[in-house]
Amino acid sequence: MENTDVLLGLHDFLERMRQPSAADFVKSIKSFIVSFSNNAPDPERDSAAVQEFLANMEAAFRAHPLWAGCSEEELDSAGEGLEKYVMTKLFTRVFASLPDDVKCDEELYEKMALVQQFIRPENLDITPTFQNETSWLLAQKELQKINMYKAPRDKLLCILSCCKVINNLLFNASIASNENPPGADEFLPVLIYVTIKANPPQLHSNLLYIQRYRSQSRLVAEAAYFFTNMLSAESFISNIDAKSLSMEESEFQNNMESALALLSGLSTDMDGLSNLNDQNAGHLPREQLIDSKHQALNSKKEKEPVNRPKSSERKSGSKKVTFAEDQAPITKVPSLSELENKGATMLLKEDKASQVFQEYPYLFANVGDLTINDVEDLLNNYKQLVFKYVCLSKGLGSTSASQLSSNFHTPVVDHAETVKETEDQKIAELKDESDKDTGTNDGPKSVSVSEEGVESHLLQVEADAHQGGKNDGNSQ
Amino acid sequence: MGCAASVPDKSSGRSGGLNNLENGGPPDAKNLRVKLVLLGDSGVGKSCIVLRFVRGQFDPTSKVTVGASFLSQTIALQDSTTVKFEIWDTAGQERYAALAPLYYRGAAVAVIVYDITSPESFTKAQYWVKELQKHGSPDIVMALVGNKADLQDSREVPAQDGIDYAEKNGMFFIETSAKTADNINQLFQEIAKRLPRPSVPDS
Repeated sequence: MENTDVLLGLHDFLERMRQPSAADFVKSIKSFIVSFSNNAPDPERDSAAVQEFLANMEAAFRAHPLWAGCSEEELDSAGEGLEKYVMTKLFTRVFASLPDDVKCDEELYEKMALVQQFIRPENLDITPTFQNETSWLLAQKELQKINMYKAPRDKLLCILSCCKVINNLLFNASIASNENPPGADEFLPVLIYVTIKANPPQLHSNLLYIQRYRSQSRLVAEAAYFFTNMLSAESFISNIDAKSLSMEESEFQNNMESALALLSGLSTDMDGLSNLNDQNAGHLPREQLIDSKHQALNSKKEKEPVNRPKSSERKSGSKKVTFAEDQAPITKVPSLSELENKGATMLLKEDKASQVFQEYPYLFANVGDLTINDVEDLLNNYKQLVFKYVCLSKGLGSTSASQLSSNFHTPVVDHAETVKETEDQKIAELKDESDKDTGTNDGPKSVSVSEEGVESHLLQVEADAHQGGKNDGNSQ
Repeated sequence: MGCAASVPDKSSGRSGGLNNLENGGPPDAKNLRVKLVLLGDSGVGKSCIVLRFVRGQFDPTSKVTVGASFLSQTIALQDSTTVKFEIWDTAGQERYAALAPLYYRGAAVAVIVYDITSPESFTKAQYWVKELQKHGSPDIVMALVGNKADLQDSREVPAQDGIDYAEKNGMFFIETSAKTADNINQLFQEIAKRLPRPSVPDS
């Protein structure tokens, strides 16, 4: 698969950089990266500098004895390796570095959070033949991975995988119903729908980042086409109004208002929904959650997203003052893994921690203890758990709702992430050897060993602590 | 059919070799790569035209395409040059019309399709022609295509209307049937012939 190629490419690239004859390359790369710490972010200048540097370095690789006799593919991987290395190092400096971009991210995120509550496939001209909301979850999951990666190529691949899933589903549906093969008439609406439902945080910044820092010679052909579709989905979504969804103005307004009410209502309904959190250990996180939801609600009311002006007006300076306040609620909503870690820490301090788990008879069971009669019970428990988890995630406005199922049903995904982990470590390795002065870009891995231990007892299905940690690292 | 054979397409967007040269390297007068954008009302058969064109030389080993919304196909011309079309489909529904500039930006060719049984789609086609004249790149090659020519009995747009409109706007015009494959290859051959050629460097 493509990913493996590039992992090998990165590995190969790092190996070659350790050769004595690569000393000059290492020096150039290092000083290029350092040069970024001297200037305030300026996306246009930074993007041009990165593009030029990548192109020059690739040309230099081509002419260097280290790659003598290598195939085009090997040179291509070296280029990919370089891009990945450089951009992983520059990520925190250049990703979402402008207040305007951050603001766009938040407005887009809020808009999708509201619109996803009421939008129907018909609003986007998706015909019944091609409607398949359950399977679209797969595509949403691909898109939601976008914040797990720092390299432009890896982020782009999340978009391409999402598009591939959609296309495959459309294609199968067309065969099943004997319809014409799907084209853009079918594809774009589904992509927009899936994007709204997935609502990946910082979508705007992710797209700008890919556009600016994915090496231009590689953002071509099919990749360019699907990336353009993602840009156009973003553009459509940020301009969504009554007309673009074929709704009456009043209907649209009502929908937006009830979506807002629903989002805020979820936090107060949570008592009823969540027996899981209704344990001693659950109190603090839950109160915080409700608090931050209220904050978010208040700020939304102030901003009146329903009557939001068009983007051109939005950019005017008048709102700049309130920017910091606007930003706060969204970034302060604790992520699932943060809540989880907090709960775990509290559990550790609890004297009677084991009592908390008495309600869950299977938690400490061994396989040998179980009988066939337990299957039904276990399955019911599992379903309740999934339902609660998904509701909680939705209520949180978190995108990680589907991670539960991803860990559960698709071991392939877990594997890929493990691979990615080692790959990040590799990047860190070279950094330690040759680059001590530039500081680290890797997000903190906040979960301590003891917390992890408790966590695995707490919810074995919730194995995404690392994933969560990575997300947090990226989004700050 | 009766058209020049197409060259099997091995592109995958990240393949090395020839194509990479075209992004910054000198233009290759023998092997053109062009971006072609498809515009037209939904349901006029844009994607069917492309599929018919590409499937004429369908290579079962190339599984790189993820759908019919983006396809690429290389054709060989009689003067032994090749043209590789990268075909960008667009969503034709009215609500997505404002997004079209994202797609036709940088396109060398625009194929504007209507359905000969639908006067509305012909009106829409004229809208796209005007839009491209205003906002498209000035040397874009435009083709006007009346599709579903197999449905003669329900024809509502006379061929002459298409011919007249195309002539007035300096476009190439053809009626096609994706269903019977009629004129599909001719459409792309004609476009290829009309492409401006980069001047051959002295050597």
